[in-house]
Amino acid sequence: MLGFLPQLPPVLSHAALFGALVVLGLLVGEAARRYAALPRILGYVVAGALLGPHALGLLSDNMLFDLRLLVDLSVGLIVFELGFRLDFKWLKANRWLLVTAIAESLFCFWAIFGALLFFGFRPLLAAMAAAIGTATSPAVVMLVVHELRAQGQITERLLLFTAVNTVFAYVLLTLLLPFLHLQHQAGWEQALLHPLYLLWGSMLAGYLACVLMLRLAAWLGKSEERQFILLVGMVVVVVGTAHALKLSVSLTLITFGMLARNLDRGYAVLPVHFGHGSQLFFVILFVLVGASLEFSAFSVAAAAPVAIFIIVRFFGKSLALLAFGSPSGIRPGGAGLLAVALVPLSGSAVVMVRDTTTLYPEFGRELAAVVLSAVVLLELLGPIATQFALRRAGEAHPDG
Amino acid sequence: MDEASFTASAALSVGIELELQLVRPHDFDLSRDAGDLLARLAKRKLPGAVKPEITQSMIELNSSVHEGCTGLLEELEAVRGAVAQDAGVLNIRVSGGGSHPFHDWADRRIFPNERFRFVLERYGYLAKQFTVFGQHVHLGCPSGDDAVFLTHMLTRYVPHFIALSAASPYYQGEETSFQSSRLTAVSAFPLAGHIPFVSDWGAFLEYFSHMKQFGIVQSMKDFYWDIRPKPEYGTVEIRVFDTPLTVRRAALLAAYAQSLAAYHFAERPQQPSRTVYLVNSYNRFEACRYGFKGDMVEPYESRKKKIGEDILDTLQRVAPYAARLGAGELLAELAAGVRTGESDANWLRAQHAAHGSLADVVREASARWEKGK
Repeated sequence: MLGFLPQLPPVLSHAALFGALVVLGLLVGEAARRYAALPRILGYVVAGALLGPHALGLLSDNMLFDLRLLVDLSVGLIVFELGFRLDFKWLKANRWLLVTAIAESLFCFWAIFGALLFFGFRPLLAAMAAAIGTATSPAVVMLVVHELRAQGQITERLLLFTAVNTVFAYVLLTLLLPFLHLQHQAGWEQALLHPLYLLWGSMLAGYLACVLMLRLAAWLGKSEERQFILLVGMVVVVVGTAHALKLSVSLTLITFGMLARNLDRGYAVLPVHFGHGSQLFFVILFVLVGASLEFSAFSVAAAAPVAIFIIVRFFGKSLALLAFGSPSGIRPGGAGLLAVALVPLSGSAVVMVRDTTTLYPEFGRELAAVVLSAVVLLELLGPIATQFALRRAGEAHPDG
Repeated sequence: MDEASFTASAALSVGIELELQLVRPHDFDLSRDAGDLLARLAKRKLPGAVKPEITQSMIELNSSVHEGCTGLLEELEAVRGAVAQDAGVLNIRVSGGGSHPFHDWADRRIFPNERFRFVLERYGYLAKQFTVFGQHVHLGCPSGDDAVFLTHMLTRYVPHFIALSAASPYYQGEETSFQSSRLTAVSAFPLAGHIPFVSDWGAFLEYFSHMKQFGIVQSMKDFYWDIRPKPEYGTVEIRVFDTPLTVRRAALLAAYAQSLAAYHFAERPQQPSRTVYLVNSYNRFEACRYGFKGDMVEPYESRKKKIGEDILDTLQRVAPYAARLGAGELLAELAAGVRTGESDANWLRAQHAAHGSLADVVREASARWEKGK
């Protein structure tokens, strides 16, 4: 035998498989856009779903687990950028805006909570599902905004409300943890300290990261290249640290982004432009999200509550926007479009559910039945909704 | 020819148009929010008017007609406050300056109305590159002949207007080394330049009807001249000013133009001369490039002078007329600035030196416009 020849079939490294994944995601995304006028993101998700453990199985559960760091990193960058777009000065100049943003989260939460109670779900389960349902997906929203090169009043509000409801969902979910612990006969120390640790720990970590980055940015000076590397590096470190400390990655990063924007009195940090780099992370993220969608979560029994979950969620958001949109300066007709744009359900809902599952598997499975099928549906419908709304609002770039 | 009949207006009445930049605070690039801001401002009772301009990144303030520039200044301050407040509610920053330092022209969106669509269709990328910001000063004239006379007389001062208002040292992300880079964008249009050397309104109409017969122009609006008669308003319109960084400076510039007009109408110290047009493009370039420090050829004395020096001499000459118009203090303020070499372009460069990026420059400039100081 010729010793220099490889074994057949050749054994590809994870890295090579992963590269193929990115290329395939890119191609399917482009096809979705060209032949069906759908957002590219749908293509990424579909490519991931096809390759994933539930279909062709090229991507195994193990590999997905190995790649989780990449997902976290992508989410970290996106959530950081989202936080960085949140300008406290705007909230100060426009008080109705904050009212609208909070109402949007509250109405949405109560609507889902009420509906699920009505369907006979236990209060705690209903509350946790409702909290998760409140959040709009930062990743989907950012990707569609990038892809359409959208800008304008609806786009800005979409990003702002997404940031607010993401924070709202995390905080609420964390505050519900004690009840979950107590229901499962955990000690009061666990019940009390766990949420405190999560909330304060994540925010403190975000704050420290921000202080460090502002110093470093000031020292590096105003060079886009250097600051870009600093930013990506810092986000990677912070994501890793949050993981290691068992903090909430999203809450830490959004705090980091928000403070980096609003505490930067010397204007040391240049405006964030992730450029082509961010597109790469988007492809990776959504292919992996597609691969981890749990189609098996669908069941006929859950269909009714899931449909109600989605519908009620939309109505909760619409109601708040229609009630408070106008005083906060949304143009006539804009409130409805904004509600549609806010439809994407946060993919990190999957993460939240998983975290709960690791704590209390039985409860996690019940939660998953409702939330994960909604995630599957909205992962497909959400991007279309956001794209439609931003186009309709006239805020998409003609070539976008 | 209705369009060309000259609507007489009170001599020396004054009004301005001010094109302003709308900026988004998260990266200080131009925003596209003109429509939303205008809709909001429409609900207020403001003096004058606020209008859309060619791209959705700008709005235009039109003042009402004033007798003197102190009244104009008061009005501008009130409108500035209102605009800044409504813009704040929509998370838009408003800035003066002749150019946005780093926007990408390909990103610009044309405001959807018929005239602007026509301009885009006709001029292609020039229309989008024309995202520059100027101040226009209108001076009332009792007759068409007066308007032609004043247009010729004011052409001599074009380098003054440029140097005094220069506020566009950065363009498309580059330090241009110019004090005003904006006028280069204007010069690319085929009908830019200046009025032909005609002696009176009748001769001007003849020229206009020729151009119309040739199909070169359809209306007066098609002439993008530095200074042009505006028969429907009964004014002469000076268009070479960069939008200054504050409304106060906008009023100072208007006061200077008004005083010059008063001086020339009252004393008629010179007659229109072809030499003015002979040296015009040289003087114009020097002013754009070097501001006060540029050279200009004084057409009536046929000698070279520093532009700054010529401005100070002229300010002294028109001082009695300024005083009569109640603008003595305004022109004194203008003169003090020329003596110390202060200009908006220099201020912008100083911001860049102090903060290090063009986004910082836009942030500081919008803070300055909104505060008015």
